[in-house]
Amino acid sequence: MALQKDNLWYKDAIIYQLHVRTFCDSNADGVGDFPGLTQRLDYLKDLGITAIWLLPFFPSPLRDDGYDIADYTCVHASYGSLEDFKTFLEAAHVRGMRIIIEMVLNHTSDQHPWFKEARSSRENPKRDWYVWSQTDLRYEGVPIIFVDTETSNWAWDPVSKSYYWHRFFSHQPDLNFDNPEVLEALWGIMRFWLDLGIDGFRFDAVPYLVEREGTACENLPETHAIIRDLRKRLDLAYPGKMLLAEANNWPVNVRAYFGNGDEFHTAFHFPLMPRMFMSVKLEDRKPIIDIFDQTPEIPDNCQWCIFLRNHDELTLEMVTDIERDYMYDEYAVDKTMRINRGIRRRLAPMMDNDRRRIELLNGLLMSMPGTPIVYYGDEIGMGDNIYLGDRNGVRTPMQWDGDANAGFSAADPERLYSPVISNAVYGYQAINVESQKRSEHSLLRWMKSLIKLRNSFQVFGRGSILFLKPANHRVLAYVRQFGEETVLIVNNLSSSAQAVELDMRRFKGYIPIEMFGRNLFPRFGEAPYLLTLGPYQFYWFQLRRI
Amino acid sequence: MAEDTILADDLIRQLISVGEVDLLVGISSHSNANSANHAFHAIELSFQKNFTRQRAVIVNVRGGDTGGSEVAETSDAGAEEMSAPSARSLRTVHRVTADFSVLPSPGLALRTVMTAADLLRARACAMLSSGTSDLTPDRIANLLAPVFREKFDFVAPLYSRHKFQGLLARNLLYPMSRALFCCGIRELYSDEWAFSGRLAADCLSQDVWHEESIQTRPEAWMAISAISNEFRCCQVFLGQRLQSGTGPGPDIVEVFRHTVGNLFWCMESRQSTWLESKTLESVQTIGPEHELTSGKTDLDPHRIFEMFRNGVAELGPILSTILDPETHAEINNIVACEESAFRFRTDLWVRTLYDFAASYHHSVMNRDHLVQALVPLYRGMTYSFLMEHADSSATELEAVNESLCAEFERQKPYLMEKWKAKIEVKS
Repeated sequence: MALQKDNLWYKDAIIYQLHVRTFCDSNADGVGDFPGLTQRLDYLKDLGITAIWLLPFFPSPLRDDGYDIADYTCVHASYGSLEDFKTFLEAAHVRGMRIIIEMVLNHTSDQHPWFKEARSSRENPKRDWYVWSQTDLRYEGVPIIFVDTETSNWAWDPVSKSYYWHRFFSHQPDLNFDNPEVLEALWGIMRFWLDLGIDGFRFDAVPYLVEREGTACENLPETHAIIRDLRKRLDLAYPGKMLLAEANNWPVNVRAYFGNGDEFHTAFHFPLMPRMFMSVKLEDRKPIIDIFDQTPEIPDNCQWCIFLRNHDELTLEMVTDIERDYMYDEYAVDKTMRINRGIRRRLAPMMDNDRRRIELLNGLLMSMPGTPIVYYGDEIGMGDNIYLGDRNGVRTPMQWDGDANAGFSAADPERLYSPVISNAVYGYQAINVESQKRSEHSLLRWMKSLIKLRNSFQVFGRGSILFLKPANHRVLAYVRQFGEETVLIVNNLSSSAQAVELDMRRFKGYIPIEMFGRNLFPRFGEAPYLLTLGPYQFYWFQLRRI
Repeated sequence: MAEDTILADDLIRQLISVGEVDLLVGISSHSNANSANHAFHAIELSFQKNFTRQRAVIVNVRGGDTGGSEVAETSDAGAEEMSAPSARSLRTVHRVTADFSVLPSPGLALRTVMTAADLLRARACAMLSSGTSDLTPDRIANLLAPVFREKFDFVAPLYSRHKFQGLLARNLLYPMSRALFCCGIRELYSDEWAFSGRLAADCLSQDVWHEESIQTRPEAWMAISAISNEFRCCQVFLGQRLQSGTGPGPDIVEVFRHTVGNLFWCMESRQSTWLESKTLESVQTIGPEHELTSGKTDLDPHRIFEMFRNGVAELGPILSTILDPETHAEINNIVACEESAFRFRTDLWVRTLYDFAASYHHSVMNRDHLVQALVPLYRGMTYSFLMEHADSSATELEAVNESLCAEFERQKPYLMEKWKAKIEVKS
């Protein structure tokens, strides 16, 4: 199966997010690698995945899970070689899966040769590739992102006796985009990977590229100019490739990163994610409706990317204080579960391993506007280990089977980059791919059918959305339309059975067909359409005029 | 609960959509009353500010001709989502409407609200008047919080008043209800109070809802029911008494019918409670205790005295039917006093009231007329109070009130004796 030629492929994609290190170890060194990942591509193809987003796999001191890059055009030795990557890329393409890789523009590792040169002397040609100051009072008031570990956005460099700017960890100095050489160098890196055949980049930490005095140093016009420049080059030289923005911001601010369809193709919808969790806990559709009310229209060639969980903490930056407190109280009572302004837990434990809620949230993910991203392991309901440092608790080895090391690696357990989850509920002997493949009613099998259904209709990726607002606020219902395709999604957000009356008069005469079982339901008429739903149950209906 | 529901199908459909709630606030409003919008806004703000996480609903019991000025409710289903300011609200705040062709009586409004609360399994409920113009979110929260957070079952308001305001409550309703029902609630009659879902269910199960007294003023009965059945009661300080709309104050005769008449009815319907000897259980007060302020008053003592004297003279034959001869004789004696020398002694006042209560019980005459006949005597008591306490401080007045309460207590056996006596009704 070759890749379909469609420049808007990202609109219909099901993206699977993984770190090479976590997925499969082929050489028994305890660390996942590209050959191992390549071996597991059939699993992802079988699941229905159409694109893979790889977390950073570049040479790095790994002090920030690889986002501290020391060499942009190479593969970290633990993960294999560049040749291994090329083999993986080709194998993925053969299976119809596209590959999205990380592009960390904002900063490098302090071990990157550029920074080593820059700090070596004030006269070095690379000196101006980073942001230096003789005082730590510049850009005062700019928020600190990693509040748990950093006290300032400036760090003292004892080598060149100056301060350097860093929005993230102090070992991640920010690049200076006021120097045109920096942009050219980064474009050179992008070309390197594009020439190899990758299909898209996820741009990390986009809002922070440029600094200006008197501002929050976020979302500045100069940043947008840089993105437009890169997008223009990309479209000219590599049409059909995709840029995905990481901008943890309110939708109205992120909207700017779509520009007039000339900046990013896609961007994460960060505020939606916590509100899906909030709605299920509150048993009330309000948070979801509220955030969509605040979500502006985007250009036709653009798309939101939506997700439930990822490799970071469940970020609570884009919620109010009241909402954050609520999320903490409901999902992270144990303070060990909290980090920065978020919750470091996986989907299944957050749902108390309640299959119905896990399914409901995945149903929302697959049916709401945007391209869904599935975090590795969530398709089988993997657990987490909140006692590992930083966010490593959600980055444990993939659980393939019930054998030693969960089938992830043949290395001695002590050698694994991280211990596998081994508790009674989420441990690899209870939760693994192999056993779920063999069980007809497993979460994995259910996810596969859900994804298959989603992949069968373009309306989910490209359709408009119209929220119905039945009087019962525990029910979230919406109609999605694209061309001739119309679907009605009805979700019961509550833990108890609900009755709901839907005003379907505008679809009078249509027959709803329940999409999982292909069963016909009574035709819509003038009267309110009554549905009853069990706890956390949802219906997907295809609407057809027959 | 009565076997057949009083809720219309439309209201039930709205309630199904609301589902289980933590908080329920009921208001009664006229269909064309724009003041209801102010109340809705205050309630919604109160939910957002003080009960962010709780499931909440407003039940608007509405009646009367809309007169073309329908209040701004936009929901086609009746249960609507509030729009502003939504940023602070985690949940949908529902507003449901129970429509009646005419403005429902307070009793019917309360019963409707309590039935809704029972169906929705509401934990904490409050009943408010849409007519009060200065309803604030904090005030609503202060009423709801003791029920929701401290598990009280009945919460009565307590106000800051001018020392000559609320004299009916201070000199009659409070001390009498306290002596009889061991009920230390100062504001037994109010248009705002809170109650638990548990108490609502208990009240609904009682077969009293056809009674006129319940229809007109159900709140005192509810309080007394709560105390009689050992529900947890408290009173909460709400600050200044709210003013109900504009225009002239209520007619004193109507007030008497609805409060004193109601209290007499409560005595009758709850006689098994108060005839038993019980010790007073203090009712917890949240916030400052009773607060009295001083300042100018527009009461005209001379006019009050004239009305007292004329009233007693006019009602002589009626009073002789109601009062014990000895009491009547003493009343006639003090009526004959010069205005400057007139005093209505506390013991006489208490005995007078107990005579009235006993006569009400024995139905010596039309009960409405009986209650109205008390008004001139109350005026006499009021005149005496104004004269005696023109310069009294709040502390002194509080002591006077305590002494009056003690007198009601002391004479309770007198009432019990008269209450139980078999008397011959004069024709």
